[in-house]
Amino acid sequence: MATDVTYGAPSGAAADRPPEAAPPAWKNGRNLGLGRLYLRRFLRNRLAVAGVVIFVLLVLFSAFGGLFTPYTHSDADFAALTQPPSAAHWFGTNQGGNDVYASAVHGLQRSLVIAVSVSVLTIVVAAVIGSGAAYFGGRVERATLAVIHFLLVVPSFLILALVSHRLAGDWRVLIVVLTVFGWMSTARVIWSVSTSLRERDYVTAAEFMGVGALRIILRHLIPNLGSLLIVNLTLGVVATVLSETALSFLGFGVQTPDVSLGTMLADGASTVTSAPWLFAFPAGLVVLLTVSMTFIGDGLRDALDPTSVTGAAGGRR
Amino acid sequence: MTRATTRPRTSLPTGTPAPVLSVRDLRISFPSESGPVEAVRGVSFDLLPGRTLGVVGESGSGKSATAMGIMGLLPPSAGLRGQVLLGGRDLAGLGDKALSDVRGKSIGMVFQDPLSALTPIFSVGRLLADTLRIHQDLTKRAAWEQAVELLDLVGIPDPRNRAGSFPHEFSGGMRQRVVIALAIANKPSVLVADEPTTALDVTVQAQILDVLRLAQKETGAGLVLITHDLGVVAGHADDIAVMYAGRFVERAGVDELFRRPVMPYTARLLAAVPTVDSGVHRPLAPIGGEPPALVDLPAGCPFASRCAVALDACRAAEPELRGITGHGDVACLRADEIADGSLDPAGTVTGDAQEPHSGRAATGDVVLRVEDLVKTFPVTKGAVLKRRVGTLHAVNRVSFELRAGETLGLVGESGSGKTTTLLEILRLKQPEGGRIEIAGTDVGAVGSAARIRELRRDVQIVMQDPLDALDPRLPVFQLLAEPLQAIGRDRESIRSRIRELLALVGLDEAVSDRFPAALSGGQRQRVGIARALATEPRLLVLDEPLSALDVSVQAGVINLLARLKRELALAYLVVAHDLAVVRYISDRIAVMYLGHIVETGDTETLFSDPKHPYTRALLSAIPVPDPQRERARERVVLEGEQPSATRVPAGCVFVDRCPLHRLADEEVRRRCRTERPAPVDVAGQPGHQYACHAV
Amino acid sequence: MLRYVTRKATGWLLMIVVATNATYFLASWFLDPRSNFKELRPVRSEIQIDRALAPYNLDPQVPIVRRWWDWLTSVVLDFDWGKSPTGVSVNGEIGYRSLVSAELVVIATILSVVIGVMLGVYTASRQYGWADRISQAVSIAVFNIPTSVAALAVVFVAIWLNQHAGLHFLYVAGENSPNVEGLLPTIGDRLLHLILPTLTLTLMGYVGYHLTQRSLLLDTINADFVRTARATGLTRAQAIRRHALRTALIPTATSVAFSVPALFTGAVITETIFGWNGMGRYFIQTISKNDVHGTVATAAFAAALTAVGAILADIATVFLDPRVRVS
Repeated sequence: MATDVTYGAPSGAAADRPPEAAPPAWKNGRNLGLGRLYLRRFLRNRLAVAGVVIFVLLVLFSAFGGLFTPYTHSDADFAALTQPPSAAHWFGTNQGGNDVYASAVHGLQRSLVIAVSVSVLTIVVAAVIGSGAAYFGGRVERATLAVIHFLLVVPSFLILALVSHRLAGDWRVLIVVLTVFGWMSTARVIWSVSTSLRERDYVTAAEFMGVGALRIILRHLIPNLGSLLIVNLTLGVVATVLSETALSFLGFGVQTPDVSLGTMLADGASTVTSAPWLFAFPAGLVVLLTVSMTFIGDGLRDALDPTSVTGAAGGRR
Repeated sequence: MTRATTRPRTSLPTGTPAPVLSVRDLRISFPSESGPVEAVRGVSFDLLPGRTLGVVGESGSGKSATAMGIMGLLPPSAGLRGQVLLGGRDLAGLGDKALSDVRGKSIGMVFQDPLSALTPIFSVGRLLADTLRIHQDLTKRAAWEQAVELLDLVGIPDPRNRAGSFPHEFSGGMRQRVVIALAIANKPSVLVADEPTTALDVTVQAQILDVLRLAQKETGAGLVLITHDLGVVAGHADDIAVMYAGRFVERAGVDELFRRPVMPYTARLLAAVPTVDSGVHRPLAPIGGEPPALVDLPAGCPFASRCAVALDACRAAEPELRGITGHGDVACLRADEIADGSLDPAGTVTGDAQEPHSGRAATGDVVLRVEDLVKTFPVTKGAVLKRRVGTLHAVNRVSFELRAGETLGLVGESGSGKTTTLLEILRLKQPEGGRIEIAGTDVGAVGSAARIRELRRDVQIVMQDPLDALDPRLPVFQLLAEPLQAIGRDRESIRSRIRELLALVGLDEAVSDRFPAALSGGQRQRVGIARALATEPRLLVLDEPLSALDVSVQAGVINLLARLKRELALAYLVVAHDLAVVRYISDRIAVMYLGHIVETGDTETLFSDPKHPYTRALLSAIPVPDPQRERARERVVLEGEQPSATRVPAGCVFVDRCPLHRLADEEVRRRCRTERPAPVDVAGQPGHQYACHAV
Repeated sequence: MLRYVTRKATGWLLMIVVATNATYFLASWFLDPRSNFKELRPVRSEIQIDRALAPYNLDPQVPIVRRWWDWLTSVVLDFDWGKSPTGVSVNGEIGYRSLVSAELVVIATILSVVIGVMLGVYTASRQYGWADRISQAVSIAVFNIPTSVAALAVVFVAIWLNQHAGLHFLYVAGENSPNVEGLLPTIGDRLLHLILPTLTLTLMGYVGYHLTQRSLLLDTINADFVRTARATGLTRAQAIRRHALRTALIPTATSVAFSVPALFTGAVITETIFGWNGMGRYFIQTISKNDVHGTVATAAFAAALTAVGAILADIATVFLDPRVRVS
């Protein structure tokens, strides 16, 4: 039975020991082992590791890239309009004489901040709504699903454009708008997984023990959705970057003088043949960002998926 | 070896016919993170036409892998060595194309779970017709006609119309009949049945085993019957092979094996099955320990660490299967001593000292009183606007009471309302109809939430599958702390209570930091019981507490439950489909059918003198692990299946399937149709009641 | 079966109605037609502007419910979708454009489904083979590229091809060429213009079908009933084709409805880049011109496209899943 007894005494004698002698057993050991197992499985996936490296480099670039150039994204060098990459302007300049390198640093930073905050907010909203609908069931569930399905088939991008056209310019507003119209598909996935979790015996058992609804959601439903939430968090970043670039590209997202990768793409699109560097650098950054996040997400999914855990418990067929 | 030219139809001809299937040194391994899992390690046997070989083993013993290996249906990652000779031809090395000519034609397979074994988007007639046309040159029409005949053969009522129905329109038992029809469609010479009745009710199980026997007779095939249920093989197999850790450890004729099991594992397995002979409870002796993991097996007999009579030599080298005179083949160094009776394979097992079961003991306070409990569910249709199209009468005027120190077993087929009754009691709310009283308090009359919370402490549940009932993300300590936190105990007292609980259920304190996945099945169920006991309840509701456990582990949990009841004066309300288990642990039994209690009584009275025709049929369907008794006893095989509880007959609910009703005179039959029978006392048997007009 | 499809279609119709009306209120709320007049010289007073907007049912002084009711009645009774703040009839604008866009979106949807599902099936039955790995890598890459980048890449490649290979049939701007006479040349010209935008949209659309169909089929291949089918004597490939494939297609059919909106978004960007006079570009123009009625008409068009896709998906489901016909 007990192969890894860490502290002595058979069970009968242990009952007589004073409480303070009992080590906080539940805090050590297995938890760590589980985490290490996940890490090992993640590190085995070379693409996922590459994704992490790329992502970290992008974050460092957006945070400290500005230190290597005297320009900022709003400075205009009227002596150098639409210049290809050179020693002075590493990524070249645009029609207004703005340094593309400085713009790229700023734009990446802007896009990253928007993508990560929207993704986190979306997951929180989706998790609460999705698992809440599944847990309460009945009318609450039907109404929530009706709203989700409606918002999914409605051309929500148009509404998004409509709303952000009026309110945008401010990237903080864009975060709110993107969250409000971005939670549905994740919520639907979380709902469908939660409904199966909700039927699990341990949830029923908790109810019969008199555990409250909120506590059941927080303690049993959401932790067991953990891997799903983490994976969707990374994929949410990809989806947000794509939405943000699409919106900004059409002129509904971030507005000048602010710069994001999307607005840079829009600027470069018209001169893709005459001044390709205006387009190439932001496009490259966007793709690096989304691809790295996808690799990380796939790696996390494989690492955390309990169905492929073998040998963790030892005795499974 | 030559192909048998004629298939003998009778089971035992005088000359030994050529085997239809010979397996030689079959070895199967699967890759895993911790190294290759040696699931099957050298299995050999011959199967004669018309004979049945029962392969018995617990989960993980390699019996299903053996079946898949024979069929050539292992996943591509699995490694297979050895020979599978079907009529002299070795299947082991064949590719998928060549194997597909053999599968279905010469060898058919019946699968475990009929719910998922049939393609959901094809009608059963289409499935059967397609199967026929794979191996035979038939027109579509001719194939359909044959499909209808096959459905008729396996006992699908109204086969011509039902052939157009889809699998989801059939019950589990009916689907399993279709799976059998698929397996025998092209008259194979070998049938492999992998746990064919595990997912089914005991009455349906009896029907399916009969269909299997009929199918075997019809085709003259040899049958490999794989099961964990010793009772099933006792009645249906000619020879039995016991599998342990990927090998056959004992192989013998069914009578020899059950008369004197020679391999200590077999002997201990039989001793762990709860059986009651004429009211005397034989003490259960669980096998300690767990089967070994099949990765990097140490040298020696894999059972040695759990064996009571193991010698040092047993741990040195693994014994081969060898012939024992007057018995079959046994893989044990001490087989001769055991076979001649000079050594008891159980050794000096003490187990839990089980005091003689007194049968009727309890005269404690009434802990639970249920009166006229009613529960219905609306049957709705439509996706957006649900409209009610009917009512499902899940529980209909059910009454019983339960005293401290007493165990009441609720038995009946699935859909009879047993589990609904349990859930209604556990809900602690005013029931739809009738009243529920717990420890003298009417739960419907309790207004305050605080009082309900207090009542919660008195009633707790132990669930069927401990792996599902324990949150996989919480360690044992947190799992046990949850009910205590819910009643607001402080951290210090929670900690000391958990230590008490672990000791109470016989678990080492070291498990408290483990996650459920790191525990064995028996340990998990012990944690489930400890959690239920945390708040010191007076009533424990046990919903199929043993069905997810292997026989050898089950015995230990049964003994634990008996000890806890004795020590803590608990009252148990048990639902279980295994009637042998129910008989072993219950003081009283209530038989449910379609939401009604049709008979109640003290366990032994009810088993020895069942009154209601449904009870009689139910009890006679229990397979007994004793071939002589199993063959000799008379069985009442019920026809058909329990109807849906949406259309409850006006009179007796059992009327449509009742064997007595058919024989009764006109007046009684009229009453059965129109008047619902009231419970009647049996003279001279206090507490024994049944509800039937015709007895 | 007819009843099933009718019931579903009714639901979708209801969805269009609700979506369109909701957009009306949102558009009236967020778009301010008066701002169009503010930059005009000579400067006009608030009252003058309101009076100028009144004939088009855009006067902000009139309660929104009244404006909505007038708009609704004219749509329902005369199918008149109203006028822009400058008095241009919306009906006149969208008639031609909606045809252009529908052509683009419908063809791209069909191609996406066909290519995506076929790739999914092909790669799932050869899991971890080289074809699976390569197409998986390509799809993941495409999945991560913004539509604008992909469209411009297509333009870039097309121009390069036109210049270097002497090909001149890849048109990168407009939906037709001026001065083409006759029926057949017109059709041919239109089809040539359609190539690149359709290619772009299909590229964006097929990925989802490929990846989901692949994982759906992989799940189904391991189902118990496929094993049963093999046990009756089918080879693995036959069992997958006859038993797993059809079952695994059912969820894909249902998901078509949910992917049309994304494709329409893609169409907005594609039309912008390829200079098409379709609904997508019209939508951008109407929003920047604060054209409430035009915006609402575009939203209704997108909803209708979704509904058409959904109804087609429902019909496909009925054919794939006979259980629907029974219940």
